[in-house]
Amino acid sequence: MFKVLTSLLRQDKRFLFGFIVMVILLAGGALAGFSPHDPRLWSVVPRDLPPSSKYWLGTNSMGQDVFWQALWAIRNSLVMAVIAVVSSRIIAVAAGLLAGYRGGLIDRVLMTVTDSFVILPLLPILILITSIFKSRLSVTSLGILLGIFGWAWDARVIRSQVLSLREREFTYTAILSGMSTGRIIFREYMPFIFPLITATAMNNMLWAIGMEVTLAVLGLVSLEVPTLGTMIHWAVNSQAMLLGIWWWILTPVVLCVFIFLALYLLSLSINQFLDPRVRVQRLQEIKG
Amino acid sequence: MKLTGRYAGLLLLVLSILVAASSLALAQIGPDIPREETLIVDILTGRNPNPRRFNAWAPGTTLDAGIQQLMLDTLWCVEYAQGEILNVVAAAPPMYNDDYTQMTVKLREGLYWSDGVAFTADDLVFTVETLKANPGMNYQAEFDMFVKEVYKTDDYTVVFELKEPNSRFHTYFLNRWGACRIMPKHIWENVDNPMAFDFYPPVSLGQYVLKDVDPGGYWFLWEKREDWERTAVGQLYGEPKPRYVLFHFYGPPERKVIAQSRHELDMCDLTMESLQASWENPGFRTYRKEYPWIVNIDPCITGITFNALVEPFDNKDVRWALALAMDIVDVMALSFDGAGVMGALLVPPTPVYLDWYYEPMEEWLREFTLDIEVDGAPFKPYDPGAAKRLADYAAGRGYDVPDDPAKQREIFGYGWWKYAPEVAAQLLERNGFSRDKDGGWLLPDGTPWKITITSHPNPAHPAYKNSFAIAQQWRRFGIEVEVVTTEQYNTLATYGQFEVSSVWPAYEPWGGHPDMYRTLRMWDSDLHRPVGEVTYGHQGRWSHPDLDVIIDKLEKIGFDDPELIPLAIEGLKITTAEMPSIATFGYPGFVGWDETYWTNYPGAENPYQQPYQHWPNFKFMLPFLEPAGNK
Amino acid sequence: MPFLKRYLLPRIVQYLVVIFIGGTLVFIIPRLMPVDPVQQTLQRITIQGAFLDPRAIEQIRETLLELYGLKGSLMEQYFALWHRLLRGDFGPSYVQFPTPVMTLIKISLPWTVGLLVTTTVLSWTVGNILGGIAAYYSHRRWAQLMENVAMVIRPIPYYIIALALLLLLAYAVPIFPVTGGFSIGRSFVLSWGLVLDILKHAFLPALSLAIVGTATWFMTMRLLVSNLLAEDYIVYAQIAGVQDGEILYNYAIRNAMLPQVTGLTLSLGQIFGGALITETVFSYPGLGTLLYSSINSGDYNLMMGITLLSVVAIATGVLIMDLIYPFLDPRIRYE
Repeated sequence: MFKVLTSLLRQDKRFLFGFIVMVILLAGGALAGFSPHDPRLWSVVPRDLPPSSKYWLGTNSMGQDVFWQALWAIRNSLVMAVIAVVSSRIIAVAAGLLAGYRGGLIDRVLMTVTDSFVILPLLPILILITSIFKSRLSVTSLGILLGIFGWAWDARVIRSQVLSLREREFTYTAILSGMSTGRIIFREYMPFIFPLITATAMNNMLWAIGMEVTLAVLGLVSLEVPTLGTMIHWAVNSQAMLLGIWWWILTPVVLCVFIFLALYLLSLSINQFLDPRVRVQRLQEIKG
Repeated sequence: MKLTGRYAGLLLLVLSILVAASSLALAQIGPDIPREETLIVDILTGRNPNPRRFNAWAPGTTLDAGIQQLMLDTLWCVEYAQGEILNVVAAAPPMYNDDYTQMTVKLREGLYWSDGVAFTADDLVFTVETLKANPGMNYQAEFDMFVKEVYKTDDYTVVFELKEPNSRFHTYFLNRWGACRIMPKHIWENVDNPMAFDFYPPVSLGQYVLKDVDPGGYWFLWEKREDWERTAVGQLYGEPKPRYVLFHFYGPPERKVIAQSRHELDMCDLTMESLQASWENPGFRTYRKEYPWIVNIDPCITGITFNALVEPFDNKDVRWALALAMDIVDVMALSFDGAGVMGALLVPPTPVYLDWYYEPMEEWLREFTLDIEVDGAPFKPYDPGAAKRLADYAAGRGYDVPDDPAKQREIFGYGWWKYAPEVAAQLLERNGFSRDKDGGWLLPDGTPWKITITSHPNPAHPAYKNSFAIAQQWRRFGIEVEVVTTEQYNTLATYGQFEVSSVWPAYEPWGGHPDMYRTLRMWDSDLHRPVGEVTYGHQGRWSHPDLDVIIDKLEKIGFDDPELIPLAIEGLKITTAEMPSIATFGYPGFVGWDETYWTNYPGAENPYQQPYQHWPNFKFMLPFLEPAGNK
Repeated sequence: MPFLKRYLLPRIVQYLVVIFIGGTLVFIIPRLMPVDPVQQTLQRITIQGAFLDPRAIEQIRETLLELYGLKGSLMEQYFALWHRLLRGDFGPSYVQFPTPVMTLIKISLPWTVGLLVTTTVLSWTVGNILGGIAAYYSHRRWAQLMENVAMVIRPIPYYIIALALLLLLAYAVPIFPVTGGFSIGRSFVLSWGLVLDILKHAFLPALSLAIVGTATWFMTMRLLVSNLLAEDYIVYAQIAGVQDGEILYNYAIRNAMLPQVTGLTLSLGQIFGGALITETVFSYPGLGTLLYSSINSGDYNLMMGITLLSVVAIATGVLIMDLIYPFLDPRIRYE
């Protein structure tokens, strides 16, 4: 495992970049716990100061240190998005594989359920659900909620990929040679499905982060918990753009971009690494 | 193949340049509407999804896009800048008989509807009878409850016979951001279903008539009537200056800043931050030309409402402790950078109410004590120096603040409660509250104390910023606080499903009249309902037997009785001592005006009128505006 | 015909079941909200009315419950709903009572459809073409540049892109209108001038949607095509000397189109929910703000009307997609 990592880091510049950015982001999120300020308290530092050696990312109009707020935001948003992605991937892969491979009645029932989720207009439904609770959703429960509503389309995508794989020659060969279902799915299909999972996971992660931003912009999340969305909410509503407090609004936007870049580049490299057509070649290189 | 992509890109580029070039003519308004003859104002309540509906008598119709300002008049109107009541369509104040079972109204003569039909007593009688007969329409329930009979004695006199004594029946026709408006009988008598009737195109009783509407519901264009003098405002103040008035919804504050920078918006409401962002806009001015800029005559008070049926807020000591744990200077600093007029009473601290209530009660406030001893003497919570502290804060922020204490009182208010966390702690501790090792407060049963503040979700609403600022105070005091901003705040409050809310801490009084019945009546114990049921009184669900007595007395005296103020003062003493809600400061109106095309707005230096475009009184301002002469 | 019996019929039954489930969900979820439509109406009356006698409010409450059809049990309301819907009636809006929900939707729908169909199709086409080319010529500098640009734009929250465009092109360099669908005071009669005017007003909202949409389609397409390029048949084609353009178009893009076409159908179906953030940022008329305000005011019928419209549109899109799937991908067989 370690060997694979070092070889990837050495050979693949994209992986190196993605890896470094991801490590920095994760370290930042972990560091948030060492913040000298309670992230919910205002007036802990002077207001509206531009970035300086003392306040690396400046301060905002509520008298908070943007740097430490940003670390909290990375932590909370990543936790929320990861929960959403992992839970929705589990449902999507299970439903997609099962429906696609088994077909028949199971397929029909699963697809009816899936389609019922696909057709729901998500934003209004999420707005409705966030309004049902009298207190605000925590980062974890928002992640789970987004997970519950974020899997359906990807289950369909995975299912159609499985449908198409099932008609291919190697499936017949595998079945005829007596391979078990599990082995067919994991040995033969996974290399084709895995890129789908990572690609949809990436999109899903972006969707989750974007949805949180939208809900925050509408004031429907807990506004005193720093996330990328609530940072944008406060910055926009305090007219950071018009008043020229660019460090406040730019920080969450740049963070969004870096989170995406890191994930995207990492997933590209991993897919390439897993691609059966290049795997053999690469394994030989590692051994040699 | 390579080329296809390039072509597509090129095509897009050409297309965008084309569209951009066609739009070099900047103006938002079309060529037939001269900008210098048009006053453009913002719509407060947002996009109108049903723009061709002008039925002002059905619930839900958008009224502040011109209907209440320009189109329909009421009998009387509250004027809170001067503290008076204007006779609009009525020629005189209402005349009641001795036991308040009959009200006579004299109407103005010489008024005409915009289609040329004369306005008479028949219109008023018809309106009341129509509304009374159609359940679901506005005022149906009230007229059904009180009106035995309505008839005219001549073309300009209407008599209401009431089913039961009501000394304030006329207030249904007293405009205070709305009242029963009068419908043109000649149009409505042919309507089968008054609820479903759209009243489009509308017929107007005011100085303007509808010219055009946006099918998307964002703007409404009104044009001056040629016979503008045959209206109530024409008789009162003369010719309005703008030929056109455009009501336009621009959306969140940053859009208004942009629109004003392009001179496409003359009057609007801003927020503290967007006001700061507007200084670079040429021609921009605020209500007060210097700090704190805001409107200080808005007849609403902001603050915090406790749910008196939820523990521990049913305890007066707890409510007082939470008030004393707040530093009003810090609250106002955090919410609006100190711009505001503080008010300790549950009465808006506008100049007229300062005269009517704050001035006479100040001596009492200074001597008022809580039944708790500090250093061996009863604790006096009132802090007359709070205004000075706020002034010092503002000066420290670099704002220009007068040194004269009298001026400071005028700008920042008379005083507030002391910031006394140690007294607050005493009050809590004697009720069994305790602190954990980190200083966090525990409820009497030993569990951590967590308060949820339910608040308004619109960042432009003062309740929004205020609730976060107050959360900061209590958090610093050692209480865990969560602010929940939700569109459902009102439903939650009416059903009592909240602990602490930043909805209005007290019902608004009339604004231009010293009667406090409107405010105090809402605390009447017979209006109270348990949590989970809709309450018809104040959402805080607090009441007091002594206050009930005062409300009964108020109900029995007329609108102009000399006992009004002394009785209300007695009531306010009770609401102060019991602290059902914490009043913080008057509603800070951040109006932004563009003087590029129009001047002589009713600013602080010449407050001839209330300053808002969304109040019905807007119509009284139009004859006084002056064109700036720019083309 | 076995196809009809074994595939089409069950699929259509499933389509109806899905709509039924969707409709039921959008009936139940709003009713779990703490919002009370009558209370919201009362609030508006209280704001607008000078003074309401508290006893009168009690009476108004009863009247409104009756008028809104909220008096019966939840089950009765539910059956009444389907009864009404089957006759094609969405019922009256509560806020604009008694204006039919259909009337309100008709006012906003053209703006939404006009803006979103154009931008969706446009960004889909441009994104896919550019994405395919960028993947095929992935070693060229311009292709990498395109990819980098798309990579940075794609993750920026849409709200920020929209706001930045507005500030840039309506404030800093004021060449586009701030708000609205067309110029004020212009008569709404079909003419070349009006069309240009509407285009001009729609430009900023459309641009913001197109930027984000193009970047998204671009990224997906690029990924799909670059995966396909490693497939044996394309490698063979290249060795066999088939021309670049032909490989790209006939082999790569055509095969990659399958999921993209599916995505397009879904996106087109989702249009009917409106574009809330776009409409809010640019003050553009449409279904998004209508739906949002109906949620906030507890206007169940209006909420139902718009969401059901969206549900049916998406479900139909998915159905059509499923039906034409075999014609697009011969590898799929229907049993």
